[in-house]
Amino acid sequence: MKTFKILLALLAISTQFAKAQFVKADLQVSGLTCSMCSKATEKSLRTLTFVSDVKPDLNRNLFVITFKKDTQVNLDAISKKVTDAGFAVNKLTASFNFDNLKINNNYHFNYAGNVYHFLNVKDETLNGVMPVTVIDKGFVPTSTYKKYAAQTTYSCYKSGMMDGQKVYHVTI
Amino acid sequence: MKFLLLTWCFLALTSTAFAQELYVNTEPASNMARHSLGIRLENQGYFNPGFRNRNTLELMYGASRNWMVHTSAYVSDFYQQKQHLEGFSAYAKYRFLSVDSVQKHFRGAAFIKVSTINNPIINQEIALEGDRSGLQSGLVFTQLLHKLALSGSVSYLRGLDNQYNPIPVGFAKDAVAYSLSSGYLLFPKNYTNYKQTNVNLYLELLGKTNPGYRQSYLDAAPAVQFIFNSVFRVDFSYRTPLYNGMTCNSKNMYLVRLEYNFFNLF
Repeated sequence: MKTFKILLALLAISTQFAKAQFVKADLQVSGLTCSMCSKATEKSLRTLTFVSDVKPDLNRNLFVITFKKDTQVNLDAISKKVTDAGFAVNKLTASFNFDNLKINNNYHFNYAGNVYHFLNVKDETLNGVMPVTVIDKGFVPTSTYKKYAAQTTYSCYKSGMMDGQKVYHVTI
Repeated sequence: MKFLLLTWCFLALTSTAFAQELYVNTEPASNMARHSLGIRLENQGYFNPGFRNRNTLELMYGASRNWMVHTSAYVSDFYQQKQHLEGFSAYAKYRFLSVDSVQKHFRGAAFIKVSTINNPIINQEIALEGDRSGLQSGLVFTQLLHKLALSGSVSYLRGLDNQYNPIPVGFAKDAVAYSLSSGYLLFPKNYTNYKQTNVNLYLELLGKTNPGYRQSYLDAAPAVQFIFNSVFRVDFSYRTPLYNGMTCNSKNMYLVRLEYNFFNLF
């Protein structure tokens, strides 16, 4: 029965697969002290195989990351590059190209092998390029993570995993 | 000196740009990015009594997110008529505290330094930068506060016998060092790319005291820094005493330093 439920859930998730496409990510980094730190961070991000380009906005410590076509994007790897270099992710918004995707609180959709789980959103239909903000640990300041963790009852927010699959929590 | 201080206060109060913490005479609590290598060539010296100078080659490496290491070799004519290799030092810094936001942060780090030097021991000052063999350990905290980057450190020094030259009788074996540094980003006012030259101004207070010996000094060290292409850094500094009750190399010293950085080596 459990296997059947999982299969059903996976089927439901995979039907949403074609309704969204990853366009770019806006990454804001905290703890950068100078343009040398920014340059080091950018060089580190460029080593990721799925990254095609990184454009920095040095005034706001922001990196606009575009991805190679038909490659799997690993947001955790982006966060790890930043933290390993000695800095921290302050904000990461992922821009998807949505095709009439009806969402509500706790809505899930699957994209490129990862589950995206909407939190703190209203019922709405997403159409066109829309940024969603990742609110998981490693993508927001620790204080923000703690705030969300205290609010939510979903255990996957703390574990980052759902039915053995990586789940990112996003909001609009 | 008073004029300098006043100018500094004025700049600090009216500044609209970011603060800067790549201090010239001290290390901040922040580290270099992981797997970055910095190579420094430094010339430091004085003109009175007579011109003498020291050349330092320093390598700096960001070993991990929280660990950074330096190693230095010293060559000078401070203690001999000709330039000679004086010895080496090694330094490690561990960042244990990071409270970061986008353009504001507070950081804390602990550091340790060890040196082995072959010069005779003439000065009361225990300085591990080419003068004395010894150990140093301390704490440094750095804060970006509004538009001002402030950093303070305190450390304990233990002087050891130099190679072939023991510490003379009556010389202090222990010292306490402290520093207060501030930095200000003058240019660019608005960042557009990595090629823009950065101009940073610094004022640092550097003090040491030999407990129980009534020997101490406090120096002021203003500095200007240029960073080209976000990889090449040039520092100029001049160190002068606010008060001095300890024999050291000279009361007034200039410093010129070139630094080149390689990012993401591995």
